[in-house]
Amino acid sequence: MQTHRIMRHAGAGLLASAFLSPTLVASQWQIGDDHIGVDVSLILEGVYFNTLSRGNDEPAGFEGGHDHGHGHGHDHGHGHGHSHGFDEGFNLGHSELVFEARLGELLDGTLMIGFDDDHLEVEEAYLTTRTLPAGLQVKAGKFLSDIGYINSRHPHDWDFVDRPLVNEYLFGDHGLQETGVQATWLAPTETYTLLGVELLQGTNENVANFEGRQSALNGQNRILSDASGPRLVTAFAKFGPDLGPDQALQLGVSGGYARTFQKTDEHSTRFEDWDGSAWFAGLDAVYKYESGRAYGHGNWRLQSEYFYREIDVDRRDVNFAEDDNGPIGFVRNVQSFKNKQDGIYLQGVYGFAPRWEAGLRLEALGLTNELGRGDGTKEDTSYRHGAQVTFRPTEPVFLRAQLNQTDFAGDHGSDRGLEFLFQVNVALGAHGAHRF
Amino acid sequence: MQPMSWIHFPSNFARWLAIAALLLLLPFSHPTAGELNVVATTSSLGALAREIGGDHVSVRVLAPPDRDAHYLDARPSFMAALRRADLLLEMGAGLEEGWLPAAARGAANPAINIGRPGRFIAADFLHLRRSITMDEPGMGHVHAEGNPHFNSDPLRMAEVAVALGERLGELMPERAEHFGARARQTADRLEQHARELAAQLPERRIVVYHEDLDYLEEWLPVTVVGYLEPSPGVPPTARHLQRLVDELQNTEGSVLHASFQPDRGARFLERHLGWPRADVPLDPPADAALDGYLELMSTWAGALQPQ
Repeated sequence: MQTHRIMRHAGAGLLASAFLSPTLVASQWQIGDDHIGVDVSLILEGVYFNTLSRGNDEPAGFEGGHDHGHGHGHDHGHGHGHSHGFDEGFNLGHSELVFEARLGELLDGTLMIGFDDDHLEVEEAYLTTRTLPAGLQVKAGKFLSDIGYINSRHPHDWDFVDRPLVNEYLFGDHGLQETGVQATWLAPTETYTLLGVELLQGTNENVANFEGRQSALNGQNRILSDASGPRLVTAFAKFGPDLGPDQALQLGVSGGYARTFQKTDEHSTRFEDWDGSAWFAGLDAVYKYESGRAYGHGNWRLQSEYFYREIDVDRRDVNFAEDDNGPIGFVRNVQSFKNKQDGIYLQGVYGFAPRWEAGLRLEALGLTNELGRGDGTKEDTSYRHGAQVTFRPTEPVFLRAQLNQTDFAGDHGSDRGLEFLFQVNVALGAHGAHRF
Repeated sequence: MQPMSWIHFPSNFARWLAIAALLLLLPFSHPTAGELNVVATTSSLGALAREIGGDHVSVRVLAPPDRDAHYLDARPSFMAALRRADLLLEMGAGLEEGWLPAAARGAANPAINIGRPGRFIAADFLHLRRSITMDEPGMGHVHAEGNPHFNSDPLRMAEVAVALGERLGELMPERAEHFGARARQTADRLEQHARELAAQLPERRIVVYHEDLDYLEEWLPVTVVGYLEPSPGVPPTARHLQRLVDELQNTEGSVLHASFQPDRGARFLERHLGWPRADVPLDPPADAALDGYLELMSTWAGALQPQ
């Protein structure tokens, strides 16, 4: 249910609304003589996180492939080995300040700043055209890629507190968020048909990691080389047949190719360097049923995504210190290998009473989990099962309780864990309409 | 460094682009040549467009008439319809703000951009009633432009009809005179029917669910004396309903609400005040023309007739 009328009782005790409201109510203003309407909205989130029983921290085969942090970059010191980057106890979750402006006839501008208690980050800053003919649209700047379904959606728009594993471990804690250009074309057909391409800089550490040229060691060059951007190209197609007033469906297919995927790891005496490319492809589907009853009662939402990622690299290690194998500049472990990994989730949410929803999410990560490094390993699949209940006391506020049962594969077999999350989310100000 | 050009790595991708480009060059025909493709958010606006445009327009209504037009998804099928629209009719004043901006942006159709002749915002032509959301303390600002539920006011819909006739004439200048005449006829019929219904009805006090039937005050001899919702968008609470009952004890009136709103609160008042209760549609059927809307007016008035 799209609920963006802003109501009086938005504060709901979470924050001092009396303090915030004077500035937020005046969210439309004019700058100079130009009529530039800027919509400002603020999303505030609080999360309580508690590990009820401890399982494996990271799914086998995906360790180190993500930076432990759900937050904004302050991740390493903060994740105590648990899977989300939430601290045990209270967290200021993923809060956002959003500015949306119409820049004359030609463009729309959007700026989204994400913040938590000690960090601020520009999450999205882009311009979108509004006057190109023939169903064409161009977006330029830093934005969330439109691959898949959940990738381009912000956390307050999700049905669960945390990001699906497949998105978190294949694309990172912010999803695929890059700087670049996107062009889309909406076909003039009865069935919604959207085709899109994105040229992206290629900095995502999970699908397009870039290190650049490293200095030679004792005259010995490293295999890492410079490559100018854009280094990542993606394409997507979305289809949405008209199913009448009660139902809506959107199917998507997307993929991407990074012409540069580089990594470097510092071991005790040598650098381990990877240089190659990566690609990914996936399918997504969303189905919504609207019962027509008030406050979302009787509504259904089903959502599923699958992504596969393949990294194809040359490896070559170079000593930076003398060891038993050789002097500085000594080269070893020369090999070429591929990492093939994938993940899927399926979730359903049902409005079981007015303003109340309950949802289930089933996830599997690493159905294919082949790592080619060294002699090659094949890791087991990791699973996570989540259940949530959400209550929306007024339109811009929701409270959500969620239980996750993790069943991550690890070195010593799988080990189950149980996590409890509680989320309070408030949208203040002229928050824009949500996409499907 | 490994030289790699963008041209040869995604070879099937390039082919894809070429196909897309070719498709772009194909001429796109509208449903029927010479017809104006009109998309209306609500069926009340759709009814006006059908009545005034006649055979020269094809009308698609987005919001199902039995749903709350505040809460819809910006569905892919809406974007597909808006992509091909020559004219988008919306109520405005925040009624569709939860979904229409996203659907219109996703449609990538500059013809329906705000400010273009292809975008008709009915509220822009009207003086709206104050919305109760404007008078409450705190942070309500949904309907800062006024109450957007003027579809229940045939007098304002008559003004919209005249403005719409002009707009259709702007888009099809060769038929401007015809549309203008049809629009005036439509306005006359709306006003006349409103007068007739008002004359048949004794004065009534009513309690409504949301501020969506407030505009009945503008043309019927009715006074809104309370709302079932404690505040807009919040479902009735026991405390609020009890307060209403205490306030209205020993007075006469009726309870009226939209068919899609839960009837629990209305039943409570019916039981404790003895007031008759009726649920009514807020918009005519999706395929209605003016007659459908006139019939709906009779339904509203009929629901308030003393039994």
